[in-house]
Amino acid sequence: MLSDLQLNSILEDFDIAYWKINLFSKEITWSEHFNLLVGNPEIHEDRFEFFINHILHPDYRYDFRIHFEQLIKENEAFSFEIKLKLENGKYRWFECKNLKNKGHSSLRETAVLLFVNIHQSKRDQYTIEENFFYYRETAEMTSTGGWYIDTVHKNIYWDDVSRKIVDCPKDFQPAYEDRMNFYAKEHHNRMKNAFDKCENYGIPFKLEIKMVSFQNREFWVRLTGKPVYNEEQEVIGIRGVLQNIDDNKNNELNLQNSLDIIATQNSRLFNFAHIVSHHLRSHSSNLSLIVELLRESKTDRDKLDLLANVEDVAGNLDNAISRLNDIVSIQTSLKKERVRIKFEEAMEVVLASISSLINRENAKIVAEFQDLKEIRYIPEYLESILLNLITNAIRYRQPGRKPVIFIQTYVENDKEYLEISDNGMGIDLEEYGDKMFGMYKSFHQNNPEAKGIGLFITKNQVEALGGTISVSSTVNIGTTFKIQF
Amino acid sequence: MGQKVELACIIDDDKIYVNLVKKIIEIKKLSENLLIYKNGKEALDYFKEIMENATDENKLPDIIFLDLNMPVMDGWEFLNEFIKIKNKLNKKITLYVVSSSIDPRDLERARSFNLVTDYLIKPIELKKFEKIFEKTAA
Repeated sequence: MLSDLQLNSILEDFDIAYWKINLFSKEITWSEHFNLLVGNPEIHEDRFEFFINHILHPDYRYDFRIHFEQLIKENEAFSFEIKLKLENGKYRWFECKNLKNKGHSSLRETAVLLFVNIHQSKRDQYTIEENFFYYRETAEMTSTGGWYIDTVHKNIYWDDVSRKIVDCPKDFQPAYEDRMNFYAKEHHNRMKNAFDKCENYGIPFKLEIKMVSFQNREFWVRLTGKPVYNEEQEVIGIRGVLQNIDDNKNNELNLQNSLDIIATQNSRLFNFAHIVSHHLRSHSSNLSLIVELLRESKTDRDKLDLLANVEDVAGNLDNAISRLNDIVSIQTSLKKERVRIKFEEAMEVVLASISSLINRENAKIVAEFQDLKEIRYIPEYLESILLNLITNAIRYRQPGRKPVIFIQTYVENDKEYLEISDNGMGIDLEEYGDKMFGMYKSFHQNNPEAKGIGLFITKNQVEALGGTISVSSTVNIGTTFKIQF
Repeated sequence: MGQKVELACIIDDDKIYVNLVKKIIEIKKLSENLLIYKNGKEALDYFKEIMENATDENKLPDIIFLDLNMPVMDGWEFLNEFIKIKNKLNKKITLYVVSSSIDPRDLERARSFNLVTDYLIKPIELKKFEKIFEKTAA
């Protein structure tokens, strides 16, 4: 048994104070350390009552009194977390419990109550609880989940929010081998690379990626991953967070989409302004020039000559306006509904309308629509596209060569294509490529039929319905136009 | 009227416009002779031939009226090519861009070429034509 002195010094070292209670006289003695803690008060009343009224926090008075009595009378175990007012007037947390006497309970003379300062750990506990609260609220609000992959034992851990994001049952345990199933196929490679790099070289990642929910719904997430090292600095796991950004991402994509539409409309407006500026004005300026010359001219013959010019201008003006109308009508027919249309049928309409041209030039047209028989499109557009490209192919045939035009449709990577190839004169794309689809561009000299508007309209029609058109060509060999619908 | 321009050159694909200008030049006796090309390439070929054969410099025009929108080779392309050979042509040539375009971007672009004296918007009044020819002849 340690002497009181030794005991005291040990207890003080651990910041533990105590009471000694004489069970017969009910007299309470405070240890020196306890006295020190509460500031050596001068006590005139009962020591216990003083403690209850001046040191113990009011919240615990009632319980403390009852348990204290039970400790003295019945020797019941006493264990309490209480707040005591210290000499500086501040409350601190203490754990208060009795020192158990071993064995001879009947011979009890004294009871000992220990007061252990637990303020720091209590505070830590509160901080942890508080932090956990903020973490959980943040995770819920931003729908951000946490995950961990044990790369050594091949295990996956998801927290509740992660499970909620993936839409799986609360008790679902994802299997390591299946981990790729939760990512969209097109992103498997990206994901694998990120995991592998992190696992093998400790490179963290931050990705925006498409996941697949338990119900097979695809959605966008932002995913971060950082390596976890053991003491030997080997990667033993990857952990990170997972945030559902589907709404944001969709908004972003919609925004981009709107932006694209606005950009194309804007460029069409520019084209429109360009036509007005270059082509309508040229006729009106000719007219005013004629008027000026009419004023100057002296003989009737001169005047008649000029009047003949007026007739020409009128004809040109009429042409220009009807072309302008072609371009504007691309806009208005956009409101038309797309319908299922068979290529075969559109082709028939087109061939019938240019049968005389085909016969005159003895052109051979081969059309293969087996791989893609029909599309949803605006029929007038499809016909106009076919008509423009076929007549172009015939118009720019290689002199002396029987024009052959090969037309086919097909599907590649879920996309629908139309290709029109010819064996015509071809065009030097290095020189003219970027102007190919521009307006009023004709590249072949001495071709009076060339109006330079056909390809411009074709491109506009294709793009108005969200497709693209490209061209490849070799001079003297032929040209291929490829349309992705 | 004092001196007269010896040789003027019009590069323009608009037949009506060319005819009208031709008439003006005849009526007002603005130039002795006139070269007419319907696109940039035809004109360029002519200049290149003179340059290569070092033929008579009298065959080079004193003044060029260049349209912008033309098939085969437009006015811009012509300007880019003409810059390269201009210094080798042994004659001072005044060049005007003449277009019906009122697009300010065209104006700015044309004026960015040093060899372009001015940008004229069609229609050009008769009086303006006379002034331009007088200035060039002087």
